[in-house]
Amino acid sequence: MAYRRLVSLLSRRREWAPHFQTPQRVHGKTVCKHPTHHPARNQKLLHTGRPVMTMMKLLSVDELFAKRSLQEHLKKVEKEYNECLQAVTYSATDDECSEDELKEKRTKVSLLAPLIQSIRELDKKQQEITETEMLLKDMLTIQVLELLIPEEEADMSDLVLEVTAGVGGQEAMLFTAEMFDMYEGFARYHGWSFDVLEHMSSDLGGLRHASASISGSQSYKKMKFEAGVHRVQRVPKTEKQGRTHTSTMTVAVLPQPTEISFTINPKDLRIETTRASGAGGQHVNTTDSAVRIVHLPTGLVAECQQERSQLKNREKAMKSLRAKLYSMKLEEETSKRYNQRKVQIGTKGRSEKIRTYNYAQDRITDHRISMTVHDVRSFLLGEDLLNEMNSSLQEFSNQEALMELLEEGNQAEP
Amino acid sequence: MWWRRTLSRSCRCCLGCGRSGAKGIWSLHTRPVCSAPALPAGRITALQALDVWKRHFEEKGVTEPEHSSQYIIAHLLGAKTIESVDQQSLTQFLSKEKTEQVWQLCTRRLSRMPVQYVIEEWDFRDLTLKLRPPVFIPRPETEELVELVLTDLQRHPGAAETRRQTCLEVGCGSGAVSLSLLKSLPQLEAFALDRSQDAVDLSRENALRLGLQDRLKVYHMDVIKDAERMLGLFSSISALVSNPPYLFSEDMATLEPEILRFEDHAALDGGEDGLNVIRQILALAPDFLSDRGRVYLEVDPRHPPLVRRWTEENVEGLRYAETRHDASGRPRFCILQKEESHKDPDQD
Repeated sequence: MAYRRLVSLLSRRREWAPHFQTPQRVHGKTVCKHPTHHPARNQKLLHTGRPVMTMMKLLSVDELFAKRSLQEHLKKVEKEYNECLQAVTYSATDDECSEDELKEKRTKVSLLAPLIQSIRELDKKQQEITETEMLLKDMLTIQVLELLIPEEEADMSDLVLEVTAGVGGQEAMLFTAEMFDMYEGFARYHGWSFDVLEHMSSDLGGLRHASASISGSQSYKKMKFEAGVHRVQRVPKTEKQGRTHTSTMTVAVLPQPTEISFTINPKDLRIETTRASGAGGQHVNTTDSAVRIVHLPTGLVAECQQERSQLKNREKAMKSLRAKLYSMKLEEETSKRYNQRKVQIGTKGRSEKIRTYNYAQDRITDHRISMTVHDVRSFLLGEDLLNEMNSSLQEFSNQEALMELLEEGNQAEP
Repeated sequence: MWWRRTLSRSCRCCLGCGRSGAKGIWSLHTRPVCSAPALPAGRITALQALDVWKRHFEEKGVTEPEHSSQYIIAHLLGAKTIESVDQQSLTQFLSKEKTEQVWQLCTRRLSRMPVQYVIEEWDFRDLTLKLRPPVFIPRPETEELVELVLTDLQRHPGAAETRRQTCLEVGCGSGAVSLSLLKSLPQLEAFALDRSQDAVDLSRENALRLGLQDRLKVYHMDVIKDAERMLGLFSSISALVSNPPYLFSEDMATLEPEILRFEDHAALDGGEDGLNVIRQILALAPDFLSDRGRVYLEVDPRHPPLVRRWTEENVEGLRYAETRHDASGRPRFCILQKEESHKDPDQD
């Protein structure tokens, strides 16, 4: 918000500068130069107009304003104005002033009003500028810190999201469906694409397992904090006696590598379709276009039956497989690095209970940073509330990464 | 068409045998080909309808009972697959009209009509095509045929800047192959032909629906009977593509009812060795193709060595380039290339 104020401030300043050159139009307009305490830096950020034509010993506006005598005079004028205003306002009840005196005071008020208004505006602007400066400084400080933190190899990539119902039967599956919807909302909130790769629902509207390919700016970077076990505590819809149950679901976040960075040898794959039996081709007509791909060296499997086109199913299954293989590769490489951290991303994090959704108390608690927010219904929309929590997790993680970096640096020093 | 009459009888009969139609279309002697479950008295949900019809298809020996009911009902709910239908739509009660539609379409499936004809559409690569009997329903293998052609055409966009890439499809059916190529290659111009007027009409219709009609010309022609006319029409083609009838005549009898009863046999039967149409295409190919232009054929898994030998012995100017396999690992595609012309280089 303050950044926007700064921009509007800058644009307005460009309007002011010309006015400064035509003194006859100064009256009624605030003229102000930037505070002098940081001249060098402000010359870059806060641009002023051209300086006025030089005359011998002409004081700059700043110098004038800095003069104590001027400040005192301004105070005097303000005092006078306030007194006159008061007198004029309460003249009806007060018989202290005569008609003529009142008239004189009224005139003074109207004469001084523009000046007083300008002074007040000036004060206001001074304050705004100070605030904005501080904000800018904060922003830059944060930027420096963020740039210090080493980026993960996968931070720039897209991802495959996998949700799986855990303990709790039908209730767990219903919760899984709600979570999948929440992440679809989150993707929409950030303008990412959300392409369902797999979707295995149960009879009563729950979700056993589903996966989606999410792509967009910073998608993996943000979503990685959602990986782990999520726990819900509420009275299930099917529960007749009103008892609270605890069910779980697991979220896995697999970074999606680009074609160049990670290639799979087609010879390592076995592709299974229903066309496999018989002669295939023109001999058979089928609507079963499900595809299952097995990566022979590792035994990893991906399947898809989301589409009517077999080719599309194959493409989606490949996407899923690539993400799984890449994730496996990354885990091997980074498991040592992340072992110490609280905010886990990776194998350790997968079985860790990271968050609890408690309906009775209407709260969501993230256990990694001990953060609680309220309003479960709104949270499950995947919008502001989830984003806030996610940002906090990110900040915490950044801090930990930074600390780690500094520690390494300290240890390295002789 | 014999199948149309069977359809209408079975449909109307099942929907209301009690009604003696004011139009008096059906006679009392009509025996229903199918016996569908009666329309439910009360209201039912989509989930319940899925279950009713799945069981009924199973009872009547209809293949892929679960998929059939899922695709038909999903289609009526405005989705392509049952997975993409939201929970609410599945658990809500269907309107009377919608229920009747479900019954009507599922009853068609009872007669072993392929699902693609029942819902009158299907997906092929990234297109959705309108489909109607008896025009041949594109198979998944053919999606890979398109992939082969695309890879080559994208790698070699054409020698001269002035000369556009062109392709010729023999036996276009619903237009799947040509339209897929056109969709992926904005610079391509396509010619397609089919001996069936139904196929020609359907290809044109699909072209229009996909906005590709400007770059596709469809001809009602038979590659065997109209060979001379074709020679006058097509030349300097970059790619000749075909999924020709390639079944062995003796295999026709073993086909499932979905194919035998509803698809055009002429689109399937390739003669005693399945190569009748293929031979004709190969014989004419050198005259259609530009130099280094290629032929792409989908064939029966037994064909590739036969095609290679026959071409070597009978077609001058055409070299067998390679055999490619489909996703199931079967030899499925033959690629042949026009040899460099030894004629006068000015004649092109």
